[in-house]
Amino acid sequence: MKILLLGMSHRSAPVEIREHYAAEDSVAEAALRRLAEHPEIGEIVLISTCNRVEVVVTTQSPEEARSRLKHFFREELGGGTPAPGEGAFDDHSYLHADQEAVGHVFRVASAIDSMVVGEPQILGQMKDAYRASIELGTCGPILSRLFQKAFATAKRVKNETRIAQRPVSVARVAVELARQIFEDLSDKKALMIGAGEMIEAALFALQREGLDSLRVANRTRTRAEELAARFGATAHGLEDLDALLKDSDIVLSCIGGQGHVLDAARVARALSARRNHPVFLIDIGVPRNIDPAVDDLDSAYLYDIDDIQGIAFSNEKERRREASLAETIILEEQERLAGWMVSLRAVPTIRHLRARAEAVRQAELGSSLSKMDLSDAQAKRVEALTRSIVNKILHRPLARLGAQTEQDQGLAVVEEARALFGLDDSDAPGAEVDSELGASELEPVPPKTLKDDDVDEVGSAR
Amino acid sequence: MTGFQQAAAAIYLAAGILALLGLALPAPRLTRIAVWGVGLGALIHGAAFATLHELDSVPQLTDLPYAISFMAWIAVLSLLVLMWRLRLGSLTAAVGPLAFLAVFLPTLGVQSGTDADLLSMRGTMPHAHVLLSSAGLGMLGITGLAGVFYLIEHRRLKKKRLGGRWVSLPSLEALDRVNVATLVIGFPLLTLGLITGSVWVHATSGSYWSGSPHAVWTLVGWGVYGGMSAARFFGGQGARQAAGSAVGGFMFLLFAVIGVEMIR
Repeated sequence: MKILLLGMSHRSAPVEIREHYAAEDSVAEAALRRLAEHPEIGEIVLISTCNRVEVVVTTQSPEEARSRLKHFFREELGGGTPAPGEGAFDDHSYLHADQEAVGHVFRVASAIDSMVVGEPQILGQMKDAYRASIELGTCGPILSRLFQKAFATAKRVKNETRIAQRPVSVARVAVELARQIFEDLSDKKALMIGAGEMIEAALFALQREGLDSLRVANRTRTRAEELAARFGATAHGLEDLDALLKDSDIVLSCIGGQGHVLDAARVARALSARRNHPVFLIDIGVPRNIDPAVDDLDSAYLYDIDDIQGIAFSNEKERRREASLAETIILEEQERLAGWMVSLRAVPTIRHLRARAEAVRQAELGSSLSKMDLSDAQAKRVEALTRSIVNKILHRPLARLGAQTEQDQGLAVVEEARALFGLDDSDAPGAEVDSELGASELEPVPPKTLKDDDVDEVGSAR
Repeated sequence: MTGFQQAAAAIYLAAGILALLGLALPAPRLTRIAVWGVGLGALIHGAAFATLHELDSVPQLTDLPYAISFMAWIAVLSLLVLMWRLRLGSLTAAVGPLAFLAVFLPTLGVQSGTDADLLSMRGTMPHAHVLLSSAGLGMLGITGLAGVFYLIEHRRLKKKRLGGRWVSLPSLEALDRVNVATLVIGFPLLTLGLITGSVWVHATSGSYWSGSPHAVWTLVGWGVYGGMSAARFFGGQGARQAAGSAVGGFMFLLFAVIGVEMIR
């Protein structure tokens, strides 16, 4: 059984091409149902986010499955037409098989492959994709195990590295800095100067922090009112700045025009009025809205766009450094999953060997008993004796075979065992029993319904 | 040194090292464990005081090493109480090692240089003086420590070098609240310590003023703190200046109360 992954992401394809293949849920669902009907395709999970479209499948026929997946992308997801400006499909896509595919899924879940390394959304999106495939009935035991392992790996990466600890967006960096100055943001008042997109993003971030009061001051009061209404803030004109500054703990400014909206004297007056209680000023306007001399005031902490972006850049570098630590965790988990997959191969072999031994035992016992004059009780005793001998002979090799398959060379051991005991010889004793075995070993086991934080439990359920 | 004291000292030191590692790595989980460690140390430290009377040669809390140990205990307790409401875990990195030294001091044979006649006095007033002053010093020690952290954090914020693997210190607001809370309690305790000391001196010499270097320097130290409190609560002094004053004030007070005694 092989695992194949075909996909495209922000690393391989521009957004014009990605959006072409990002089918709506209902379309994708119907397409997946059709894909599942093809005999070369086993289990399927489709991951579709704004930064990636990937389909993961299991297959017994990798070559056919590969062609089928490309066809699925072009005809089903892409609607049979290439994306505008798209060259060869292979130039914008990637195909991974087996361990490479497993590693890729683990990296995606751990947000190492994300545009913003360590971002938390991708894990939720993957869980949604996994749930959808379970509901659709296209996810079986192997992909179920793969995704549960991926979620558990992402959890380990998050807990054991600092990949997601430091913020990398301007708004989040500003909030993190505010936390270095203020113990509790819920009783703080924020003043936004301007009413553009950056102010909107900052309002969103600050609203999530549950600030006591948000105020928007703008040259055009109507624009301030529009924005304020959406965030439960109050709207003001720039003429109110002096009054607002006195009780503002956080001031964020991003407003057009030349000259400083706030100068040092104005901020000093406000500080004096608030008994020198610290004020955090963020100036993301270009040209700058706040006089840099404000930072010389003891209780004023002024950060301009370069300061904030410098911190965001350092944090991103730190996240990338942590990503290399995450790779070690991913490798460990990848090996564990590989062990499990090899052990799947051992189960039919073990059953096979038992069946072969049992067939030999019964054949020999039947022939011997017919030549001996034994009472029923004696025959039963001989029967029990032969069963006991066979079990004792097989016990140790079978136990070792099971254990070895969990390790690196497991697959080779399984193959050696099959060759050693002649399990693939069709004329060997018990061959007729062999043919009945093995087919049921990989029957899909429906996974439990997955909650956000129960991946480990589901993972260990089998 | 009793088994309890040894255990408390060891735990304080271990907690301090853990907290330092937590800051350096940075690993917030280690800092949290360190806070629990300091709490355990304080519990055992308290047990050490409670069982002093069971020793063959019962020491007095008025002995300088025990007074220092008591001061550290009060400082640790007050910090733990403040941690209940404020994110101050990283202060453990400083409090742990300092508390260790304070508990460990008795084993180094440090003896008080206090007047032998005064030391010979056993009773309520000497104990009230030493315990109140030590408690006040312990609280003001936390004021000074919070001041040090405030100045470090203020500098980091002004330098704007907080990206990447930055060490997470308590917020400026939390440190300032520590400053206010410990000053509000510590200064009155110190004042009561001075008053009881004066009453004690009066009981031995008939005068409320001994004129000893210890008395002179302590009174000056008290004056410094009086000025600081006035500037903070009535003069509109900013948090950064208050932090600086707290550091300077405590250094001076430590010298006035303990340093002068030790160099005599």
